[in-house]
Amino acid sequence: MACRGGGGHGQPPSATLFRVSPGNLSTRRTLTHNICMVSDFFYPNMGGVESHIYQLSQCLIERGHKVIIVTHAYGNRKGIRYLTNGLKVYYLPLKVMYNQSTATTLFHSLPLLRYIFVRERVTIIHSHSSFSAMAHDALFHAKTMGLQTVFTDHSLFGFADVSSVLTNKLLTVSLCDTNHIICVSYTSKENTVLRAALNPEIVSVIPNAVDPTDFTPDPFRRHDSVITIVVVSRLVYRKGTDLLSGIIPEICQKYPDLNFIIGGEGPKRIILEEVRERYQLQDRVLLLGALEHKDVRNVLVQGHIFLNTSLTEAFCMAIVEAASCGLQVVSTRVGGIPEVLPENLIILCEPSVKSLCEGLEKAIFQLKSGALPAPENIHNIVKTFYTWRNVAERTEKVYDRVAGEAVLPMDKRLDRLISHCGPVTGYIFALLAVFDFLFLIFLRWMTPDSLIDVAVDATGPRGAWTHQCPHRIKRREKNKMFKAR
Amino acid sequence: MCAQPVTDTKEAKWQKVLYERQPFPDNYVDRRFLEELRKNIYARKYQYWAVVFESSVVIQQLCSVCVFVVIWWYMDEGLLAPHWLFGTGLASSLIGYVLFDLIDRGEGRKKSGRTRWADLKSALVFITFTYGFSPVLKTLTESVSTDTIYAMSVFMLLGHLIFFDYGANAAIVSSTLSLNMAIFASVCLASRLPRSLHAFVMVTFAIQIFALWPMLQKKLKACTPRSYVGVTLLFAFSALGGLLSISAVGAILFALLLVSISCLCPFYLIRLQLFKENIHGPWDEAEIKEDLSRFLS
Repeated sequence: MACRGGGGHGQPPSATLFRVSPGNLSTRRTLTHNICMVSDFFYPNMGGVESHIYQLSQCLIERGHKVIIVTHAYGNRKGIRYLTNGLKVYYLPLKVMYNQSTATTLFHSLPLLRYIFVRERVTIIHSHSSFSAMAHDALFHAKTMGLQTVFTDHSLFGFADVSSVLTNKLLTVSLCDTNHIICVSYTSKENTVLRAALNPEIVSVIPNAVDPTDFTPDPFRRHDSVITIVVVSRLVYRKGTDLLSGIIPEICQKYPDLNFIIGGEGPKRIILEEVRERYQLQDRVLLLGALEHKDVRNVLVQGHIFLNTSLTEAFCMAIVEAASCGLQVVSTRVGGIPEVLPENLIILCEPSVKSLCEGLEKAIFQLKSGALPAPENIHNIVKTFYTWRNVAERTEKVYDRVAGEAVLPMDKRLDRLISHCGPVTGYIFALLAVFDFLFLIFLRWMTPDSLIDVAVDATGPRGAWTHQCPHRIKRREKNKMFKAR
Repeated sequence: MCAQPVTDTKEAKWQKVLYERQPFPDNYVDRRFLEELRKNIYARKYQYWAVVFESSVVIQQLCSVCVFVVIWWYMDEGLLAPHWLFGTGLASSLIGYVLFDLIDRGEGRKKSGRTRWADLKSALVFITFTYGFSPVLKTLTESVSTDTIYAMSVFMLLGHLIFFDYGANAAIVSSTLSLNMAIFASVCLASRLPRSLHAFVMVTFAIQIFALWPMLQKKLKACTPRSYVGVTLLFAFSALGGLLSISAVGAILFALLLVSISCLCPFYLIRLQLFKENIHGPWDEAEIKEDLSRFLS
C-alpha cells in the first residue's frame, strides 16, 4: 500500500513518496537482514497491529530485506501463503485461546518455530503486541537459540488492577533480555519503560503511519448546507462510545443543521441506537455498521468534523486518517494523542461530554466563520507527517543497531532474569529458560540443523520473487484488507 | 526523511511530538522523560483513631457470632431456658425498635414510608411461621451426622463474616448472602437442640442478632458515634465474658483477635501506606465521571 512501486496504478504517486531521502529506493543495501515478524494478529484479522506488520514488511522488502511473517492459523487459512511482493506468511496450527491470542505453554511452539527460524535463516525476530502470547513465545525461544530480538509494543496499560500487575510482570520477564523495544509514541514509551522496568536507552519511538494516497480529501462529496460530524471507531467502552451517546443529543438539539455519520460495529452500538430513538434522530444520525478499510475514506470525506472519543490510545491512526482527508479533528486528550497532530489541526478536549461538546462547538464556529483551512491544504500538511517508508527506514536503523549487539549467552541470561524480575518470578523463569534450552538441545539431536531444508528466499537479496517474477506484484491483497478499528 | 534541513541543530529543543522530524535518535531520552508521572495521587491519608473507630464494625460482627455460639452452647447444655432467652430477646428487640426510631427522630421511617402496621405484620408472620415449622427444623437434619453439622455451621458463620457488608465497596460484599449463611448456620445448630421450642427460640434469636442488630448498629454509628463506641465496648466485653465462662483459652484467643483487629491492623495499614507506589500518568485509561444514563431516561 504505502510502498507499492511507482507505476501500476491509476493515481500518480504523490510528491512525498519521492521526497524520501535520496537513494533509498534504488540502492540495494549491503547490510540486509533476515527478519521474522511474529504476532498472533495478522490478516485476515484486522486492526492497527495487523496493518502495521503488513505495511512495515512491505517497506522492508522494498528496501532489500528478507521478511517472513509467522502467525497462527485462522480457520481454513493455514500453512504457508504468499502475499503481495512475495511476503511469506506462515499460519501455524496453534490453538487460539482468547481474543485471537494463542494459548501458551512456553514450550509447545519451540519445535515449529525453531524449524522456521532455521530453514528461513532468520537473524532477527521482531515480535508485535504485548497481547500476543505467540510473540512472547517467539522472543523466549529466539533468545534460547541465540537470535537477535526486537519487540514492538502497540498498546497502553494501567498499573492499578490485579490483571495489569500480572501482565506487567510477564512483560518484564519477556523484555528484560530483549535487544531492543519499539513503541509507537512517547507516552507509550514511558508506559512500557515503567511496566517492564527497562533502560529507556533501548526503547525507540517510531510512530505508526498511514498511507496519505489512500486518504485524500474530496470536498465535493460533502454537503455544505449541513455540517456532518464523522465518527469511525469500534463501538466499545474503551473507544468512549458512552461519551458519544451523551454528545449526540446535546449537539443535535443545539444545531438543527447538523448530522452524524458513525462507522463501526461493537457491543455498545445498542446505546447509540437507543439514544437515536429516544431523541427522534433517525434521519440525522446514520449508523453504518462495520466498515471495510477501503470504505473508510469514502465515509470520512463526507464529513466536516471528525470526532474521536477514545478513553485510551497509544497512537490513534484514525485521527491521522481523518486529518489526511481534510477534516477538522476533535479528540479527547488521552494517551499519545496530543503528540500525533499539531495544535492547529486538532482540538483537544477532556474526556467528558461537556468538554467534548465545547470542542465541537468551537470547531463548528470555526467552520461557519470560514476560519478552517481548506481540506486540500490540511491534506498537504498531514501527508508529510507519517509514511511507512519513514517507519521502515527508522526500524531498519534499529535492526542495524541490534545486529551489532551480542545476544546474551545462557549464563548471563539467567543472571539477568534473576536480577531483573524479582526473586520468585526470576528463578521460575530462569528454570523455564533452562528447560527451554534442554528442549532445544533435544530437538537439535532429533533433527540436526544441517538436516533441515533451507527455504527458497522469496524476498531479500536473493529473493526469487523480486528477481524472477516481478509481474506478479499485484495489489489484490489491499482490496481484501479492511479495518475494524 | 530525517535528512530534512535542520538549521539550528544545537539549539533545537526536543519536543514530545511525533509529527516533526527531530534531530535526535529514536531512542533519545530527554530530561522531560516521565515528567508527567504522578505517584499516589489517589492515596488516602489515614488517621489512626479514625481507622480504629471504623474497625469496630468488624469487632461487632465477630462478637455477634461469638455471642450467638455461646448462647447456643448454654441452650445445648440446658443451662439456659428457652423462655428466658425468648423473653430477653423480645424485650431487647422492643427497646431496639423504639431506639431505632428515636435516634434519628423518625426521619428514616418517613423516608422509607413504612408503617408500624407493616412492621408488626412481618414480625407476626415470621414468628408464626418459625414456630409452626420448628418441629420440622428440629428433625430436619436428623440423618446428618453431628460433626457435619458443626463443620457446616463453622463454614457458614465464616462465610457470614467474609461476605458481610462492612461498608467496603467491593465485589465480594453481599449482605443477602451473608445473612442467608448466618441463618443457615443457625438452623443447623438449632436442629441439634433438645426440643422444638429451643429450635424456634434459637432461630428467632439468630434473626435478632444477625439481621436486626446490625441495622440498629449502622444507625447508631451514623447518628451517635460516641454511644456507638460505648455499645461496641460493652458488647465486646459481654461476648468475652460469655466465652470466658465456657473456655478460658478460647476467651484469651478471642481477646487477642479483637485487639489485633482493632489496634494492630490499623497500625499496619498506616505503616504500609509508606510503601505505596501507585503510578499514574497520561497512559491511564480515562474515567467517565459523569452519569450518562440521564441521556437515556
